[in-house]
Amino acid sequence: MDNMTQMQPILIELDNETRSKQLDRAATWFNNVLLTQASYRKLVQDTVEKIDEPHIKQYLAEIAMRAETHEEVIRGELFSAIDRNPSDVRTALGTMAGKAREALGDMIALTSGAKGPWQDLHQLYLSNYNSMGAIAVAEQLGLALGIPQVAHIAFQLVADKSTDQLLLQECVLEMCSMSILYHERF
Amino acid sequence: MKTSNAERRKNTGFKISKSKLQPGTASPQDLHNLPTPARPTVDARDVVVPEGYTVEPVMVGLSFPTDIAFDDKGSVFVSEGGSSWPTRPYMPARVIAFRANGETETIDMNVQAGPRGIAWRDGELYMALKGGYHMQIVKYNLQSGELKVLIDSLPSGGWHEPGGPIFGKDGLMYFGNGSVSQQGVVLPAGFTVDMAKHPLAHDVPGQDVTLSGNNVRSRDPRMPYPYMVETGPFKPFGTAAEKGEVVKGDINCNSAVWRSRPDGTDMELLAWGIRNPFGMALNEEDELYVSDNDFEEKGERAIAMDPDCIWHIKNASQPFGSIKKPDWYGFPDFCHDGLPVNHPSHLPGRGTPAEMLMENHPPLAGPAAFLEQPHSCMCRMDFSRSDAFGFRGDLFVAEWGSMAPLNSPHPEDLTHGFRVIRVNVKNGTAEPFVHNKEMGPASKVGGGGIERPVSCKFSPDGKSLYVLDFGGVQVTSGNMMAYAHTGVLWKVTKKEVNNG
Repeated sequence: MDNMTQMQPILIELDNETRSKQLDRAATWFNNVLLTQASYRKLVQDTVEKIDEPHIKQYLAEIAMRAETHEEVIRGELFSAIDRNPSDVRTALGTMAGKAREALGDMIALTSGAKGPWQDLHQLYLSNYNSMGAIAVAEQLGLALGIPQVAHIAFQLVADKSTDQLLLQECVLEMCSMSILYHERF
Repeated sequence: MKTSNAERRKNTGFKISKSKLQPGTASPQDLHNLPTPARPTVDARDVVVPEGYTVEPVMVGLSFPTDIAFDDKGSVFVSEGGSSWPTRPYMPARVIAFRANGETETIDMNVQAGPRGIAWRDGELYMALKGGYHMQIVKYNLQSGELKVLIDSLPSGGWHEPGGPIFGKDGLMYFGNGSVSQQGVVLPAGFTVDMAKHPLAHDVPGQDVTLSGNNVRSRDPRMPYPYMVETGPFKPFGTAAEKGEVVKGDINCNSAVWRSRPDGTDMELLAWGIRNPFGMALNEEDELYVSDNDFEEKGERAIAMDPDCIWHIKNASQPFGSIKKPDWYGFPDFCHDGLPVNHPSHLPGRGTPAEMLMENHPPLAGPAAFLEQPHSCMCRMDFSRSDAFGFRGDLFVAEWGSMAPLNSPHPEDLTHGFRVIRVNVKNGTAEPFVHNKEMGPASKVGGGGIERPVSCKFSPDGKSLYVLDFGGVQVTSGNMMAYAHTGVLWKVTKKEVNNG
């Protein structure tokens, strides 16, 4: 028995209504990606100025340039790949969130006895992890929607940020003793 | 709160339900303008089938589909979703039921890795599920909504897949369970997420084995430093084996094939040492054949030029309950051509050469009924049972296709698979049956043809061959990405039958 001869093929979740709804939901997440990246970019830009040690300062300056580029890629190419526009409000909120993280770092330093810019490095480490996770989610959404451009853009951003994360972790772990035990700036 | 690891590893909390699906229909024009850039076009004219046959798409937009089944009222079932190949992204784990009257519903489940194999028997849907430390065979009654877990004891949680379930004329249920390890030892060369989810998972032999003491040294990717560990066969990652150590065999093993009564009782181990018995089929004489996939040429236990193969499981022809000792087909120490993994013809051009893991091997149960090009990735399969379709008695095998350059450095491996072949299991020969105009996936060779066939099954009347196409997958030398909503169910029919 086989009744399915020469019927029109059926489409699973590829009709316009379902597709449009899912793309709108993806755009909402991409705005979250933008917010977390803008927050991180602001924090890393401000932290560079606070570091004296020349090598760490150079590392962070390079990370700051990448953070700026990544934010532009998210605002431009990532949204364009799903034919949606980014929210300027989210960028502004992100910048504010970056400043808030600096304040949080200052408070932690005050209450825990850590000294100098180390607490900013620590907040930077957490902030990059946050935005990297948001972008990794965007990559998965690209795969789920069958859009290679989204997956490829996000994959490259995650790869870059993952490398930066290793460097940030190393700086945080290496310099913690200077800040916490010696109460010294670096 | 469960207090022991053994308790935590039990599969519990399984929920299943039905819901309506409102799919659209597509004109040929629609199929040339699909909203998924990973697969923008589906066009049967780009698919090659033998003269006298026709091919058409039936379902488009499937997400990581794995198997096909039919009921006796003309419904087609397709399992899809879950956390599959690779593990991300998860898509709804479900079985889509496409009724003869055009209605569609889904059978939704909350099992993370999802349904891998499905079969219909006596009004109930049988499913092989992956997820957690054990694979499961369950049955679901669509009328009553009753779910019964039939088998929940086979160690899983790693790389390879459940096989079956299928049913023989003898009324018995046949099923398989692939190895946890990719290369005979749990290693980070496989997807590291398996280790994160199931750090204690390992292979289990089907009979007592003596270990050679050869361990595999690798980096532990869970550690922040270049932390090196040694791992032995039939051990969790990071646990070394000792020379002369005996690992007890267990009927609840993996890399194995069993049969049981349809309710899962009286389980009988027929064979083990089969790396990935994902495809299983019984011919009209009730002889059992299973597909197996080759070792990979990469990583810390690399093996080159291992062919894919079809095994004849000879023990399945013995009376039920009579198997005292399972046959052994060679995993983890022998390639499918019967040569040891350290034979000069299998030395890798990339990665660390393999050493033997066992001593005093059991006798090999081969040779293979059919050897296929390396990395063709033979998957689910079915025998033609109909003169109306033709090639009666031949085995039709879906070939998912190569994962080169990720798992092989050889350029010739790039195009292996990506087709359905027709195998004569008696003389070990095969012919391509469904493929693109140029060998390879449509996303590489162009056009709207097939991507990666994962299953093929004949309709109950035997007149049509349904070919399930997993969809678009991109593989590089470093990673693999698979795209949801790009799977297609194709149907191949002999023209004379089609025209009455």
